[in-house]
Amino acid sequence: MSNSEGMHSPVEQFEIKPLVELSLGGYDVSFTNSSLFMLLAIGVSAIFLISAMRRADMVPGRMQGMAEMMYEFVAEMVRSNVGSQGRPYFPFIFTLFVFLLFGNMLGLIPYSYTFTSQIIVTFAMAAFVFVGVTVIALFKHGLHFFSFFVPAGAPKVLIPFLIVIEVISYFVRPVSLSVRLFANMLAGHTMLKVFAGLAVMISGAGGLAMAGSLLPFLALIGLTGLEVLVAALQAYVFTILTCMYLNDALHLH
Amino acid sequence: MTENTRNRLTAIAVALPALILAKVFAASASEPGLPQLDIATWPSQLFWLVVLFGAGYLVMAKIVTPRIGAVLEERRQTVDDDLEKARAASADAAKIRADYESDLEKARIEAAEFAKQAAMEATKKAEAADAKVAQKLSNKVAKAEAKLAEAQASAMANLNDVAAEAAMAAVASLAGIKVSGAQARKTASSIATKLAKRETN
Repeated sequence: MSNSEGMHSPVEQFEIKPLVELSLGGYDVSFTNSSLFMLLAIGVSAIFLISAMRRADMVPGRMQGMAEMMYEFVAEMVRSNVGSQGRPYFPFIFTLFVFLLFGNMLGLIPYSYTFTSQIIVTFAMAAFVFVGVTVIALFKHGLHFFSFFVPAGAPKVLIPFLIVIEVISYFVRPVSLSVRLFANMLAGHTMLKVFAGLAVMISGAGGLAMAGSLLPFLALIGLTGLEVLVAALQAYVFTILTCMYLNDALHLH
Repeated sequence: MTENTRNRLTAIAVALPALILAKVFAASASEPGLPQLDIATWPSQLFWLVVLFGAGYLVMAKIVTPRIGAVLEERRQTVDDDLEKARAASADAAKIRADYESDLEKARIEAAEFAKQAAMEATKKAEAADAKVAQKLSNKVAKAEAKLAEAQASAMANLNDVAAEAAMAAVASLAGIKVSGAQARKTASSIATKLAKRETN
């Protein structure tokens, strides 16, 4: 994994490159490759979903079927994990899922950028979910919300320890939520780059050694398939955990 | 997906990348480091995340989800209506079938009644005819019996004559006594009367 001649560092792909220099209130808010792919994720998903539903047939075609399937998938997730009280939050959860799914999937296209591999992006989203869910819980249950940290039916002696554990596990939520997505994307894309780099390096040796580059190349094909799975799975995991946190906030447990 | 599988998947999803992550951090220790940790890029990323996710939320909340939801709702409504119609049609069909079956049953009962009546009438007719024939036959029998009795009586009378004659002839040849016909006949008939009396006794 050395940075030898012609060989790029596997983490170079995560570099933020400004495309349009901008600044706001002294902060650098340049439109970057990361921003471009956020725009693409929103743009492509919105264009796909709107154009698929333009004819709005009673019997859906292929495109409309896919759009409806995505809607039903998220709606079912909210219904089964949050219940009817989750309805007002459905548009947000749907946007979250679509944004992450398209972001992850578009990021798998060679030469594209994966904004979900940025810890600050995943952490901002996780923190928003965490703060939002906590505010909803406080708004709905008032001080009664704090009973959430006291497990029901626990022996009295253990309660102080359990409260500490519950509080820690509650505040770790945004960290685990964001790191899970970030680390998956970072690791997956790094792995792809390492194997691709290996294939190029071996083929560069020339002669019979070139045949050896077939091995990392085949591994790369398998890994790409795996990454497609991870991209979809991580979008799903982030969304379903958001649903579960929302459910805790609405119903305490 | 069960809770267990989800937990296991999550564990794998966290453990596997963590391993590689550690390697990457170790490998890039000598280099500038992960671009993700360059806080100079954070304001821009946060700014565009808020702007673009916000815009995306508006598009999804105002255009996409209401439209898909309306289409799904409309389809559900149509399917429900059609199901309702089908259910009504099915109920109608069941009613028609029940009517048809009750009609059929009625007809069957009527037919059975009719057949029973016809059979009764036929029996009655046959009985009447039987009685007539029996009457005729008994008349004939009575007539024949009367004739027979008459014949018997005349035969009996003739028999007395024959007996008298035979007795006359026998007396004449045996005793040489000539008996007048009237006498003989008188004797024979008295004997016959006596015999008949003894027989009746």
